[in-house]
Amino acid sequence: MNPGRILVVEDNPKNLKLVRDVLQFSGYEVIEATSGEDGVRLAASEEPDLILMDLQLPGIDGAEALRRIRSGERTREVPVVAVTAFAMDHDRERAFASGFTGYVEKPISIRRLPQQIKDFLRLGGAT
Amino acid sequence: MGGRALAGGAGTGVEHQRLQGQLAALSDQFAAANEVLSAVGRSAGDPDKVLATVVESARRLCRSQAAQLYVLEGGYYRLIKVVGMSDEAIQYLAEHPIPVDRGTMVGRAGLDRTTQQIDDVLADPDYNRQDLQRVAGFRTTMGAPMLIDDEVVGALAVWRNEVSPFDQREQNLVTAFAGQAAMAVNSVKLVQQLEARGAELARKVGELEALREVGEAVNSSLDVTKVLSTIAKHAVRISATDGGSIMEYDQDQRCFLVRSVYQTAPRVIERLRTTRIHLDETLVGRAAKLGRPLAVPDLGAADLDPHLAVLYEAGWRSLVAVPLLREGQILGSLVVRRKRPGEFSAETLTLLEMFADQSTLALLNAQLFRELKQRSAELEVASRHKSEFLASMSHELRTPLNAVLGFSEVLLERMFGELNERQEEYLRDIHGSGKHLLELLNEILDLSKVEAGRMELEYSTFPLRRLLDNTASMLRERASVHGIELRVEIGPGIDEVYADELRLKQVVLNLMTNAVKFTGDGGTVVVRATRSGAEVHIAVTDNGRGVPPEDRERIFESFQQGGRGPSQEEGTGLGLTLSRRIVELLGGRMWLESEVGVGSTFGFSLRSREDEPRLDAARSVGAVVVIEDDRPSLDLITAYLSGAALRVTVAGDGQSGLDAVRRVRPAAVLLDIRLPGIDGWAVLQALKAEPGTRDIPVIVVSIVDERARGAALGAAAYLVKPVSRDALLHALTAVGAVADDKGEDQ
Repeated sequence: MNPGRILVVEDNPKNLKLVRDVLQFSGYEVIEATSGEDGVRLAASEEPDLILMDLQLPGIDGAEALRRIRSGERTREVPVVAVTAFAMDHDRERAFASGFTGYVEKPISIRRLPQQIKDFLRLGGAT
Repeated sequence: MGGRALAGGAGTGVEHQRLQGQLAALSDQFAAANEVLSAVGRSAGDPDKVLATVVESARRLCRSQAAQLYVLEGGYYRLIKVVGMSDEAIQYLAEHPIPVDRGTMVGRAGLDRTTQQIDDVLADPDYNRQDLQRVAGFRTTMGAPMLIDDEVVGALAVWRNEVSPFDQREQNLVTAFAGQAAMAVNSVKLVQQLEARGAELARKVGELEALREVGEAVNSSLDVTKVLSTIAKHAVRISATDGGSIMEYDQDQRCFLVRSVYQTAPRVIERLRTTRIHLDETLVGRAAKLGRPLAVPDLGAADLDPHLAVLYEAGWRSLVAVPLLREGQILGSLVVRRKRPGEFSAETLTLLEMFADQSTLALLNAQLFRELKQRSAELEVASRHKSEFLASMSHELRTPLNAVLGFSEVLLERMFGELNERQEEYLRDIHGSGKHLLELLNEILDLSKVEAGRMELEYSTFPLRRLLDNTASMLRERASVHGIELRVEIGPGIDEVYADELRLKQVVLNLMTNAVKFTGDGGTVVVRATRSGAEVHIAVTDNGRGVPPEDRERIFESFQQGGRGPSQEEGTGLGLTLSRRIVELLGGRMWLESEVGVGSTFGFSLRSREDEPRLDAARSVGAVVVIEDDRPSLDLITAYLSGAALRVTVAGDGQSGLDAVRRVRPAAVLLDIRLPGIDGWAVLQALKAEPGTRDIPVIVVSIVDERARGAALGAAAYLVKPVSRDALLHALTAVGAVADDKGEDQ
């Protein structure tokens, strides 16, 4: 059984590969995007169950990508989780203020990530 | 020339009578002289009384209707004492004084320096004060000059209202009285001169006093602008001029820049500020080069440099430029000016020079202070840039570290197959080094946060014992490997403390980790909490090799491990620096006591629980107690709540959570279920069992989904982690802790 389709938006190829491999290992289907624009496009065309969005991206940043995803007809409801290395508290607050469903802090924990994804998916289903 | 010199008396009758008469006259004269002398003697200290006595005696003894005493001032005889004259006549005489000429008796007596009389003023061809005669009505008048050192200072006159010439005796009397009066007048003059000198002295003292006051005012401020405007204002005041300006000298441009202007039209101020006042081309510059004040008594007649031209056009007519000098260096210039032309007295120039001297020092101080302020502002900016650089650098470094840690973890988890022993060992090394690097980055980040003033503290009340026990237990395993005994000792009277629990734990953990690291096998590490007045002291003591005195300050600096001997593992070199900064941020201080070969004690102070402001028993609107032990969840919740105008109190375990709710009586409680100590279910039960807390809505926020159980125990709402901001705020609104659109409050 497929537990879900996850769109991962991450510009660093090694980190993207890591997250992809770990999620695939846990049985998720993974769609990869390396820029905010790609992420917005793929969110609309692939209709993922959840989006993992890095905040610092080339071109449009995570917050702007989120705004576009939220304004898209078919992607309005999808849970979007920020992957943040912003350790400054106010940056994190800003991320939440812009409307992310939640956040995962970098460096991501390989052991905890699958469970965190599961929790967020459940939340997305509940709302 | 009508005055007839008095000859002998009326020589008639018998000799006896003549002798009798002479005797009487002599005795009269003697009595008069005696009276004058005794009057003068009585009123020796009061010349005015002497003069009054003289006039009165002269009138009486010369059997005349009136007597007057005049002093010579500015070419006129001015009446200073009089008897027997009508007020009208006195008034008239004051308005029409007697000039030095032969037209009057007094004038003649002064010119001839002899006593003489006019038998009948109406019959004297040279007499010309018939006007006065008509007012006063006299006919025969006699006058005597008052001489001091052969100089006429005044005159004494007597008159009769009928034609009846004065005899020799009377002439002698008047002459004698005039002599007495001259002496009295002289002493009055001396006194007046003395008084004038005293007044001059008093004025000088006043000026000095003003100068001191001004100096004080000028020196009491380090604000350059304020100092300059004070100088300008007071310079104008003490020089009694109409306006002034003060300039600072710019050495690079060789120009004076107008900084403060007093009592000058705004339009002119603007022009003064934009005028180039060059050292080599202006009066101000010349005064500075000469090192003394230069006055221009009439701008209309002077060569106008650009600065003077501006002033002249604005209606200023005279000025003084006073250089502000310090040890031969030109600091600036002070200019005071008047709207009318005129000389400046030497006193004014001296006063201004003295004042400039005082002002220079104040100006210098203020300039140095301004420079210092500028430097420190620059340093602050540099320091902020450094902090921002560190923050962004540590953030950039996390990205590749993410991959290092992640991939090594993936392999160690055997997600993609088994590992041999060597592979696992190396992977652990990679992972361990990555972790170490991450720790280092976190500390750099923390430190830069502290230095940039961006470390936010989350205060709560919690039992100190729990924190110390928890921290000790984190190190127990490591300590036991080296046979190190780890002890926690808490003194009497210490229960709860009010601080940022996580930051405090970070400090204690750092100190204890260091202690374990630098203590030899089989050693002892003791954490001791004691009360000291209003403070709690926490000290970590080891019996390691100690810190040599020369390293005791250095050890707190970044990347300095000091001479504590070889450590059993690598550290970041930032721990102590950061710990001390956190303690300072918490309002305490950190210290080190150490003896080489015996051990070290790292201690710090903490404000005690009593400092926390107590809340009223009434339920606080807008207060929320969050009972949560997991840092990321806590961060998330507080971040969510940060925009909601709520006062958040955080508790890290069930017991302190209960205490916090009892104390704060919040509008709502956010309760985690998995808690150290008594768990969330027990907390919920306890809150619902107590009358004081029964009505406070509790929102369960848990990773475990047991809604039914929550509802059964009385939870107002149940949220499963991860929680979205909307869901959290919605729940808080539903229980009334956050005002909704209708503005309802709990």
